[in-house]
Amino acid sequence: MSMDVISSIVLAAVRMAVPLLLIAMAELWSERAGMVNIGLEGLAAVGALAGFMLTFYTGNTWAGILAGAVAGILVNLIYAYATVSLCANHTVYGMAINLLAPALASFIYRVSFGTGGGLNQIELMKGVAIPVLKDIPFLGDLLFNQTPMVYLAFALVLFTNIYFRKTKSGLNFKSVGEHPKAAATLGINVIGIKYLSCVICGALAGIGGAYLTTCYSTTYTEGIVSGRGFIALAAVIFGRWNGTGVMGACLFFGLCDALQIRLQVSSLGVPYQFFQMIPYLATVVVLAIIGSKKAGPKANGLPYRKEER
Amino acid sequence: MEKLKKSLTSFLVPVLSVLLAFLIGAIIMVALGANPGKAMASLFKGAFGTTAAIGTTLNKATPLIFTALCACFAYKCGVYNLGGEGQFLFGATMGFVVVHCLKLTGIVGIIVCILVGAIAGGIWGMIPGILKITRGLNEMIISIMLNYVATLFMGVIYTSWIRDTNMPQTPAVDTSLMLSKVIPSMRFTWSFILAVVVGLVMYYCLYWTSSGFKLRAVGLNMTASRFNGFPVKRYILLSFIISGAIAGMGGAADLLGTQYRLINGYGNGYGFDGVAMALIGQLHPIATVIVAIFFAALRVGSTSMQVATGVPTSVSDIIQALVIVFSVAGLALTKLPEFEALRLRLFHKNAKEGK
Repeated sequence: MSMDVISSIVLAAVRMAVPLLLIAMAELWSERAGMVNIGLEGLAAVGALAGFMLTFYTGNTWAGILAGAVAGILVNLIYAYATVSLCANHTVYGMAINLLAPALASFIYRVSFGTGGGLNQIELMKGVAIPVLKDIPFLGDLLFNQTPMVYLAFALVLFTNIYFRKTKSGLNFKSVGEHPKAAATLGINVIGIKYLSCVICGALAGIGGAYLTTCYSTTYTEGIVSGRGFIALAAVIFGRWNGTGVMGACLFFGLCDALQIRLQVSSLGVPYQFFQMIPYLATVVVLAIIGSKKAGPKANGLPYRKEER
Repeated sequence: MEKLKKSLTSFLVPVLSVLLAFLIGAIIMVALGANPGKAMASLFKGAFGTTAAIGTTLNKATPLIFTALCACFAYKCGVYNLGGEGQFLFGATMGFVVVHCLKLTGIVGIIVCILVGAIAGGIWGMIPGILKITRGLNEMIISIMLNYVATLFMGVIYTSWIRDTNMPQTPAVDTSLMLSKVIPSMRFTWSFILAVVVGLVMYYCLYWTSSGFKLRAVGLNMTASRFNGFPVKRYILLSFIISGAIAGMGGAADLLGTQYRLINGYGNGYGFDGVAMALIGQLHPIATVIVAIFFAALRVGSTSMQVATGVPTSVSDIIQALVIVFSVAGLALTKLPEFEALRLRLFHKNAKEGK
């Protein structure tokens, strides 16, 4: 394989990994406070729609990204209220969000744009080249000539690592996911942190969705998230609930996706669907090999009731 | 008395949720400038107005009943099978492949197709089950990943291996395999009857047999069941296999009943819809069947609503989603200690009697 092919595959891998990374980081922040949220697919769908609409009406992609975050937060607050305050089952409520949010998004889209669709396009966010670094041969264009969202996504990983490992408030945050009652006896506001984690999760998943419409595809279509919300869930387990690991997992899935497209084009007489299966099969195989016993926050997915002993 | 009150709550919460969801749906219709009364009327008329409409609704409900029962069975054992769609499609695909390649016809073909579908679905459901009990993996993620694999595998069949000339779809199954209508003037076929029978059998097995009791016990409290000496892992695996087999059988039955061929988009969303219906039906097999018919009615009716009043069909999707949002939150609410205290305060007399 020539350098060109390799570099184009890596470039595609990074591009595919970024939305996944944003959504997976959303889940990481959520699960660190013990909130298992499988509604990511829905959150990203409303984020994608909000991002598209605001960019369409204002012409500013940053407004779109912001709108995606706000939409994600608003929808996730429903989840937060039901699971934190009413102690509803996390998985069940995440499913509910997965049904509600895409229905809402497609309804709003149809009411605003009619059923024509496809013709409404927006201009994508422009890439920002970092001077000097972008001139490094081979790697330069690959790593330092991307949209700001790409840099921000990777900066988020760095921030997450530092926050959870080096700061006191990060440790407090983590303690809510490990043992909420012990955390509460130390004066940590458990309910507050759980809500905060849901706000962060909604914002990041919404931004991940908005990335899809403002930096990736130029229009909103139904099912644009296409399972990324679920793969992001796998990425969090695969990445052992830490920032770097999750990033590695997302890049791996991105690479699978990029390879799949490349193999599909080269067509070896094998039905292309077999290549499309690669990311999903890889998830199953990798998780089966590493297992997931006794990993992750201890109180993940459990309800927290103050009065209970 | 206490038991009656409990079952009353578990009946009232979904009913109230449905009413609330429809209320919000009506508000949306008003906001769109439509007459909500007229829209709702056309919705119900479209779903139940004529015998033909009822037939269409029951026909539409058939695959949903299967996937809903699939989700329901797994949840009864305390595991989340989100792979109903994959199991449904894998059952339909394998059933189709076997009857197509062996050129089976008639009643033998029908029985073989449905059996193969059930076995294939069971195998597809077994994979997350095995990975859960041996590797401790999250069954939700594995079953969702397998949904994609099954959908793509079906794609391989209809685009490459058994393709019907130049269209990306398979040829239809032999006419002797197509299930006949139960009542000639109505569209639903024997696959609907099969779905209802599966629901009834499931109800019997879960509530009137000792293994059913043990399975539910595992679902209610895994730790207690383990200390009681129940083979928890075996029940988990079994519930995955049976749950997958129900979905797979549904896929094969729906293939012979309505679909006839494998085609792009077939089965899309059935799995998650099934999960929602099982939850609204509070994991009771018979209630789940009724909820599935109700959801199918919403879908069938929403098309005539769109034609009559211009309210888009996605309003009915929102109503469906709101039903589950409200009913799940409502049930959680009734389990809160604060709610119990409030109930006791409001019905002071009953509280005294209770003590």
